Amino acid sequence: MIFSQISDMINMGLVVLDEDLKVHFWNRWMALHSGIDSEKIVGQNLFDFFPNLNEPKFMRNCRSVFAFGNFAFFSQKLHHYLFPFQPAYSDKARFDYMQQSCTMGPIRDDDKNIRYIFLSVNDVTEVVNYEEQLIEMNRKDALTGVFNRRFFAQKLQEEFIRGRRHNRPLSLIMIDIDHFKQVNDNYGHQVGDEALKAFSARVLERIRKTDVMARYGGEEFACLLPETSGESALILAKDLCRIVAEENWVCRDVSLQMTISIGIAEGRPEMLDSEALLKKADDALYEAKAGRNRAILYD
Amino acid sequence: MAEIQFSGVEKDILQELMNIGFGQAAADLAQVIDLSIELSVPDIQLFKACDLQEHIGTEVESDREFSLVEQYFLGKFKGIALLVFPAKAGKQLVSLFGLQGQATSPSERLELLEKEAMIEVGNILIGACVGKITELLNDVVIYSPPRVMIQNVRNSTLPKNLFEPSSMAISMKTVFHFEQQEISGQLFLIANQESITWLKSALHAFMEQYE
Repeated sequence: MIFSQISDMINMGLVVLDEDLKVHFWNRWMALHSGIDSEKIVGQNLFDFFPNLNEPKFMRNCRSVFAFGNFAFFSQKLHHYLFPFQPAYSDKARFDYMQQSCTMGPIRDDDKNIRYIFLSVNDVTEVVNYEEQLIEMNRKDALTGVFNRRFFAQKLQEEFIRGRRHNRPLSLIMIDIDHFKQVNDNYGHQVGDEALKAFSARVLERIRKTDVMARYGGEEFACLLPETSGESALILAKDLCRIVAEENWVCRDVSLQMTISIGIAEGRPEMLDSEALLKKADDALYEAKAGRNRAILYD
Repeated sequence: MAEIQFSGVEKDILQELMNIGFGQAAADLAQVIDLSIELSVPDIQLFKACDLQEHIGTEVESDREFSLVEQYFLGKFKGIALLVFPAKAGKQLVSLFGLQGQATSPSERLELLEKEAMIEVGNILIGACVGKITELLNDVVIYSPPRVMIQNVRNSTLPKNLFEPSSMAISMKTVFHFEQQEISGQLFLIANQESITWLKSALHAFMEQYE
């Protein structure tokens, strides 16, 4: 009596399956989240209701638990969920389905023979939501929403190695907003912050999804352009210079003109590591800044 | 603390029992994962819990990196299972289990898949071996979720909650080999001192069936 009440009160899903994978038990939590009553599903094959589970991995683990009495773990990281349920709190738009961490294990009779397997289902949506927010915060610049310097350094290294391994081009551009200090000095930091946000958004519109843009310092940005030669990067950079210079920026009712300087470098076989590429782009930026509103390709 | 001894006869019984258990495990594994796997004759050794690194170091090339899957088993027989794969095995396992289809985006995702493939194989392999042995000895164990790490095996230590550093531990090692793909690795089942005491009496009970 106590245990049947617990299984209906507990805040997790409990399912018991027999050897033919017919549902033997379906607790109230499962009924509430699936909308399928226990009376309707007990005695029926689980796959009739959840065809998504009829795949090799799930079957393999069922066989394993029946054969060895081990536990099988279906982590949220790879599976996201076993049972496609609506998230319990719909205000979290991040996930279409409740994120679940599930465990499968054996149930034995008095002679220790495995007759059934159980599945426990935990709703981990909230936790994963926090986790993903934290990961994102760790990767992104809080003001502009583009990636931060640390994440960029990691991507730069990865892409550098990948480009080298597959012998594919890779370019890096470093962007600095000209005389940006004056914006802050003349109109205050709030206007300056708005300008940085608007600028980042405009660059993001122009580059590809596969490019990685990061805020590198105060008004300094970097873009990693995989599969892009130095020549193509130069075309993009010149275009960015033009777009920024032609725009009439309005930030907090202040009308601004901005120009940018860009340094470009392309990965070369003789470069030892990604640091070398970064150094070349930085050198080119230094040269570009001597004239302002222009892009220089390091050669 | 008096050192626990395992007599030659006891070691022989355990060896025999593991041969039976692992034989069944290999046969059932072929059914469960559709792959034939060879499990070598287990090697049994007793050592001090704090000497784990020395123990493993003599069994595994110590200066290379390996993928390690680690999982606790808890019953009367309790301890930790360590599965040692060569670092490149993850990729092979992904294709062996036909998991590639699940990769949606490249690098990060593949790394995750490799880990998951190792965890899944590890979980089943460990479950098969531990399950069969404990079944023969009339014990039922539960398992923690497996973890996968990529490191030098020399950095492994035994968890202090199960293994008091000065106490004895028993290690049962087998080499496994997936025949279709050239994947080999080692499985260490390491049980704590309490388990050794239980194991001795369970082995005698096991033999009595035949006397």
